[in-house]
Amino acid sequence: MAESLSARNIVKRYGGVVALSDGNLDVHAREVVALIGANGSGKSTMSKVINGVVVLDGGQLLLDGQPIRFTSPQVAKNAGISTVFQELSLIPQMTVAENIWLTREPLNAFGVVDRKAIKTRTEELLALFEGTYKTALHPDSPIASLPPDERQIIEILKAMSFDPWLIILDEATASLDSRQVQRLFDLVAKWKEQGKAIVFVSHRMEEIFRIADKYTVLRNGRTVGAGSIKDINEQQLIKLMIEKESALGFLRGEAKTEEKIEKEVSLEVENLTSGTLRGVSLQVHKGELVGIGGLQGQGQRHLLHSLFGDIPYSGTVRLFHKDVRFKHPHEAMKAGVALVPGDRAKEGLLYIRSILDNMLLPSWRRYGMPLKVSNARKDAEQTGSSLNLKMAGLDAPVSSLSGGNAQKVVIGKWLMRNPQVLLLDDPTKGVDVGSKAEFYSLLTRLSEEGKTILFYSSDDEELIGLCDRVLVMHDGMIRTELSGNTLTKENLIAASLGAGERLGGDA
Amino acid sequence: MRRPRWESLTGRQPALFALILLVLSIAINLIVQPNMFARETLNSNMRVFLPLILLAVGQAIVILGGGIDISVGAIASIVNTVLATRVGLDGSPQEMWTYVFLSLLIGLLAGAINGFFIAYLRLQPIITTYATSFLYAGFALYILPNPGGGIPATIAQLYRSSTPLNLPLAFFIILIVLLIWLYLRATRYGRFLYAVGGRPQAAYETAVPVTWVQFSMYVISGLMAALSGIAITMLSGSGNADIGGPMTLNSITAVVIGGNALSGGIGGVAGPIMGAITLGVLQNIISFADIDTWWETFVRATIIVVALAAPGIVNLFRRRQS
Repeated sequence: MAESLSARNIVKRYGGVVALSDGNLDVHAREVVALIGANGSGKSTMSKVINGVVVLDGGQLLLDGQPIRFTSPQVAKNAGISTVFQELSLIPQMTVAENIWLTREPLNAFGVVDRKAIKTRTEELLALFEGTYKTALHPDSPIASLPPDERQIIEILKAMSFDPWLIILDEATASLDSRQVQRLFDLVAKWKEQGKAIVFVSHRMEEIFRIADKYTVLRNGRTVGAGSIKDINEQQLIKLMIEKESALGFLRGEAKTEEKIEKEVSLEVENLTSGTLRGVSLQVHKGELVGIGGLQGQGQRHLLHSLFGDIPYSGTVRLFHKDVRFKHPHEAMKAGVALVPGDRAKEGLLYIRSILDNMLLPSWRRYGMPLKVSNARKDAEQTGSSLNLKMAGLDAPVSSLSGGNAQKVVIGKWLMRNPQVLLLDDPTKGVDVGSKAEFYSLLTRLSEEGKTILFYSSDDEELIGLCDRVLVMHDGMIRTELSGNTLTKENLIAASLGAGERLGGDA
Repeated sequence: MRRPRWESLTGRQPALFALILLVLSIAINLIVQPNMFARETLNSNMRVFLPLILLAVGQAIVILGGGIDISVGAIASIVNTVLATRVGLDGSPQEMWTYVFLSLLIGLLAGAINGFFIAYLRLQPIITTYATSFLYAGFALYILPNPGGGIPATIAQLYRSSTPLNLPLAFFIILIVLLIWLYLRATRYGRFLYAVGGRPQAAYETAVPVTWVQFSMYVISGLMAALSGIAITMLSGSGNADIGGPMTLNSITAVVIGGNALSGGIGGVAGPIMGAITLGVLQNIISFADIDTWWETFVRATIIVVALAAPGIVNLFRRRQS
């Protein structure tokens, strides 16, 4: 068994986006290292570098001090590295036993998979979480029929089934209940005794302090702190996760000094419930810029899409004092609502079509039959230049634009309809700093013009710098509302991590 | 909410739909052709069905693995033209077997070309094999521009009228293919195939050799297409560069009827074999019932549309009810 794994100065880029610029991590046998960081700080990328799922662009991995290259998951696996993936690596169509033993099936003399052996060994593994299952879980259950917590358990059992020396737990506790978490932690303690090393990626502070021996903090793709968990407390950890100097600093004053938010409520939501949302109520005033925060995937996107008529829901939505129930985005559009979706490439743009086509897609109706293309072109040009869109020409394909400029097209296509309510789903993801600054002033300007803006961002800095109020979502509900003095980075992160009631109350 | 019984049944037994359809079509066939199970009739039917069955088996494996192969018919055409031109009507049996061996190599090579483009260059399966299908069909036309050529009558006779144990030769070939598949499915390779078809990213993260599995399934499909081409040649006794083309869509139809999900990861090979036989029986019914042949296309098209749309229609009704 190996004794240590070190990652040194790891660099990983996805296209133009730098996920890791200087990642460092040391893991030794018989210890649990907590890998901590805010949204998008590079935690998942770091674990994917260590387990060979992505190939690094720079830096070095050292196994017991010897340089090693992981060119594929196979190589990392052979080195004894195993992962519990955040998104799970299970095949839904296959059974529990087939998934756990995939690639390591015991074979008989004819190369045939020994189903009996697999079944007994799977039952042994399943016994580790005995008593915490809600369904009659057995080795032949198809994965697709299991609830999320049981899938998560299968993923954990699969990762430990080949007796690795290093186990990466990437958000492995997110969908487990407290009993199941306790079982997992008992296992972790046992693994430590056996001489294994564990990398524990989590957002839950309480759990980190419960089982970790060491910590490593990532911020914006850099390792900014590491040490023994005994020498640090929760506040200090949160401070480490926060950017010290913010590029947004100047904007904060600008957004906050204007106190002239009109008192008229433009958007009112009561008890909005859907598959993911569990009773969301909120009010947004005319000319107000309200942020939605929280960890990723807590229902923020569902909320925006529900308001846009994209996802069916129950509950009441009032727009300018009128009850509305949008069944199709088209109805929302007609009522003056616009949604800037989160996945630019898939939802926001027709990538291979021209900038002109993209800009005019929601507005063609206005240009008559047959289309008055020259008018349309003039309007698109105007919107483009007001957004400072850098392009070769309106006929250039969107795919030729940089991330920031492509995002301007997504926003521009809705601005051409002059919407009264603007829903934004993480619009600055993968956008360069210069364009970000332009966005911020654009959003400030729009809210000054009296537009209602609901703005989800995975970038906490942004929410604090821009928004008048921030609603922190957790598990499909609004957990805390932060504004004025309580709207600080510390409170926002604490609320996201589930410590909301405590810190939200001292305002 | 209780899952409808039918859905949970077909979920566990994807080939059930194919079996019902097969029994139904055989029953109708019996009405219009009462002597259907007589030895001679059965043999003459099965030897006609066999080429499509072999093609459908290869197609089923590719679709299980999450791909599709539009070039199978064209590969069968190449094999047909090679055998018909190189062996000839007065060739010796020995020459015939040499070229049968060569045909298998051609199938493997054509499949490997598909697999290389799709697995290693990561091109889209449907576009890639559609493109190579023209390449292969063109090559077949180059070998034999006009229908003609042939193979020794003794060899053709061997295929047409061998009935070991009083059963059609095709039964034994199907049995061998099924046994090989059952073995393959029980090995690690079988698991890999289902995993790659089910969720390639998860398979990759689990250290399944995804690229290699994808490559290999096109090679298998090429080999099955070559076997199909050999069967066509022995059946017809002559060569025709256009003979395989129309069979491609039929092979996909057979797989869909057989209960394999076009998205991959669900199904097997027994279902598609039944699907292929069903298509053959339908053709039989139509020719015996003295119906215009366009009905055959219509019925086949209806079946494939129903088979594809059924899950969607069930879902639509469920949404309406809730």
